[in-house]
Amino acid sequence: MSTTTAGPVSRVSTPSGERYDGVIDLARVKAAHVPYYPTREAVTADGNTAAALATLQMWRAILYPGFPITPSTKWIETVAAKVGAQKGTAKRVKLMEAEHAVADYMVGAAAACRDLIVSTATSSVGLDHMTETTRSLGASGLGNVMIIDVYRATANFPLCIEGDPSDALAHRDDGFIQICARGKQQIYDTVIQAPVLGMHADVMTPTMPGYYGIKDSHRNAKFWVEADSAIHAFQDKWIKECALPGTINGDTAMGNCVTSRHFQGFKVAQKRRIERALELLPEIGADFEKTFGRPGLAYFDEVGFKGDEPVDVVVVSMGPDFGTFESIRGEWSARNNTSTAGLAMRLINPFPREAVRKRLANAKVVLVVNQAHHSGRGHLTLDIADALAGLDKQPRIVSAFAGMGGADVSESTWEVMLDEGRDAITKAPRQPYMVFHEGARL
Amino acid sequence: MSGYKETARQESCFRPGSTLCPGCMESVAFQNIGRVTDNGVKTIFTIGTSCAEVSTLAFPNVVAWGRGDDSPDDFAKSFSILHNVFESAPTLAEATRDVADQLTSIGALDRKIQVISASGDGGAFSIGLRTLLHTIHRRARVTIVVLVNEIFANTGFQYSPATMPFADTSTTPAEGTPGNLNPPLDYIHLAIAAGAGMVAQLSPAHGKMFVKAIERSLEVEGTAVIFIPAPCISGWKFEDGQTVELALLGARSGVFPAFTWERGKGGTVKDCPQDASERPNITEFLGEQRRFGHLVGKDKVTGEVKVKPGQEENMEKLTAWVQSNVDRMYSLAAMK
Ligand SMILES: Cc1ncc(C[n+]2csc(CCOP(=O)(O)OP(=O)(O)O)c2C)c(N)n1
Ligand code: SF4
Repeated sequence: MSTTTAGPVSRVSTPSGERYDGVIDLARVKAAHVPYYPTREAVTADGNTAAALATLQMWRAILYPGFPITPSTKWIETVAAKVGAQKGTAKRVKLMEAEHAVADYMVGAAAACRDLIVSTATSSVGLDHMTETTRSLGASGLGNVMIIDVYRATANFPLCIEGDPSDALAHRDDGFIQICARGKQQIYDTVIQAPVLGMHADVMTPTMPGYYGIKDSHRNAKFWVEADSAIHAFQDKWIKECALPGTINGDTAMGNCVTSRHFQGFKVAQKRRIERALELLPEIGADFEKTFGRPGLAYFDEVGFKGDEPVDVVVVSMGPDFGTFESIRGEWSARNNTSTAGLAMRLINPFPREAVRKRLANAKVVLVVNQAHHSGRGHLTLDIADALAGLDKQPRIVSAFAGMGGADVSESTWEVMLDEGRDAITKAPRQPYMVFHEGARL
Repeated sequence: MSGYKETARQESCFRPGSTLCPGCMESVAFQNIGRVTDNGVKTIFTIGTSCAEVSTLAFPNVVAWGRGDDSPDDFAKSFSILHNVFESAPTLAEATRDVADQLTSIGALDRKIQVISASGDGGAFSIGLRTLLHTIHRRARVTIVVLVNEIFANTGFQYSPATMPFADTSTTPAEGTPGNLNPPLDYIHLAIAAGAGMVAQLSPAHGKMFVKAIERSLEVEGTAVIFIPAPCISGWKFEDGQTVELALLGARSGVFPAFTWERGKGGTVKDCPQDASERPNITEFLGEQRRFGHLVGKDKVTGEVKVKPGQEENMEKLTAWVQSNVDRMYSLAAMK
């Protein structure tokens, strides 16, 4: 192989080794982006398409590794079809042999150039199959990795493709920033904002935006797709060139075998970085709203609160079934003479404890609706209990499981759960948790 | 391609300070590969969890990688190394290659990059067989080196799919049993069948050939796979200073013949005649290692290696396996 000569390179020392500036010309990567949407457009499509369009429109995304699994498959198919159809594209799709390989590939690609965004989509056992590497990634500092999780129950025995969020919730300790979206617009918007948060110099933590399989991945709705140039402007405002070297532009070692004291320091730093995400997320969300006129990233969506006025029953849940609660809330409240409000959780890791505690402090009862299998009272229930711990006047917690295995949480199921919430205003709930299905308490 | 002497004067990206056992063939291999890659092209290594990783990439102990005492001014001499998990080195290499190629095709990177993946045989043939074969199958333009010490050394010398018949390992103990009974996986054939552009089985004991093969691997179309027989002083249980001798004996006696092959051109077996009578007796190789102490023993007076009483049948089986191994290498060499 012959020696190559090229433009000037300058050396910069960093705590992670030397960075050689001028080796990778990011302006050329940006210039090579062929826009998918030169102007803003209304599109009617499903959630996977919304997520795929968002990832395609980013100039920093040039490689898309993937592996099919229901219900996320359409993401990689859409990306492949659009990349294939676009003349002169700088993008490339890479179908790997397994999800583990996808995750490993993301490590290699993200480490090669820390200014590129490397994304994929997966679900359920696909995410489980990646686990060894997602846990490494969580600590890696590679905030330019984004795994879109299309929620699906993590079970193969019996095999099912239903969209409950047990995959996302089982992977909360992997170390990714996990943000739940509901509705096509929110899916699209969340995928655009997630890497902005993950790649922030203080955060450098991979992200896992997600949405419910089938219910959101496969159903169509109309949403706005912004012009590629507008997305670039928004992302460029936030994403600065990575100060640390990648394997291509660096003289560096990554993923070393570290001795105990250093590993301990490493884990502390990982924790600190993800805590910083809590502070930055609302800032990014607010800027998104200012830029595009739609709500941006938030800890949760809220409904029914009037300032800090007390509320009889506050529902805490996540995902599209929360919409059914929203639709019956007014009528149920009037009929039961009980005020209600609700939080649909968006940031599920790190859990926004303080904000949740503040919002729930004036509730009499908090009805937590869990949709994933859990060894105890429910993932969300434990987080809410933790958030409320130590309040002078503790709201009573009613823990419910509903919509497990991807079942729709019907109006009648919401009503019986709300009835239990109402009863808990005056007396303790009858069980530490209750399971609801098809309009009945089991 | 530079000459052997010039290569010897090049600056290796493998530096002193590793905690590999003294005399470990892996460090000899890295020294050589490190020199060959000082060729004016930026080098990126990916590495799987193994002796080769934990003993060379330990922080804050010495990271035994990189050229020079400090980062070089010359970007082409700069060096990066990436570890992720046990089995992923080939995939990491492929991803690195793809990013470099993609950036180059966009015009955003105009310097050359060479990518080398390093794994042990455990990492490559057991837990990592999937990633090894699929990276080859996708024709990733990388060099994959597999350091074949026939065991999982890092975790205490357990059986690997490359363990040769009758070897004593910590999970095929030869106390009351004949040791390992599984013939090794035919990894050379697998690599060819998966689509490799170049496949070699060579250790640095065949110095010039080894260096030439590494140089060629960086130029060849598609994936180049170099299996490096790596005598392990602790796992094979031999005496200090015998590493190169054993690597030569193993190759010459037919356990791991020196082999190079290129797609479309075919290959050659070197320094290992197909006729057993022209090769050193396998007992010479076995007799130097205590992992075969249940099969053979050295006469204290004459130094002659003799089959232990009661082990004649096992020895016959082992000899037959060695012959089939040599025959197999010759037939692979004949393939185009
Ligand atoms: C998923 C996983 N399983 C097991 C291990 C433990 N482990 C670390 S290195 C190793 C053996 C390495 O053997 P090999 O690849 O042959 O390299 P060597 O140490 O012999 O050079 C094992 C089993 C691990 N790191 N990861
Ligand atoms: S145990 Fe074997 S492979 Fe590991 S460092 Fe020692 S000699 Fe090398």
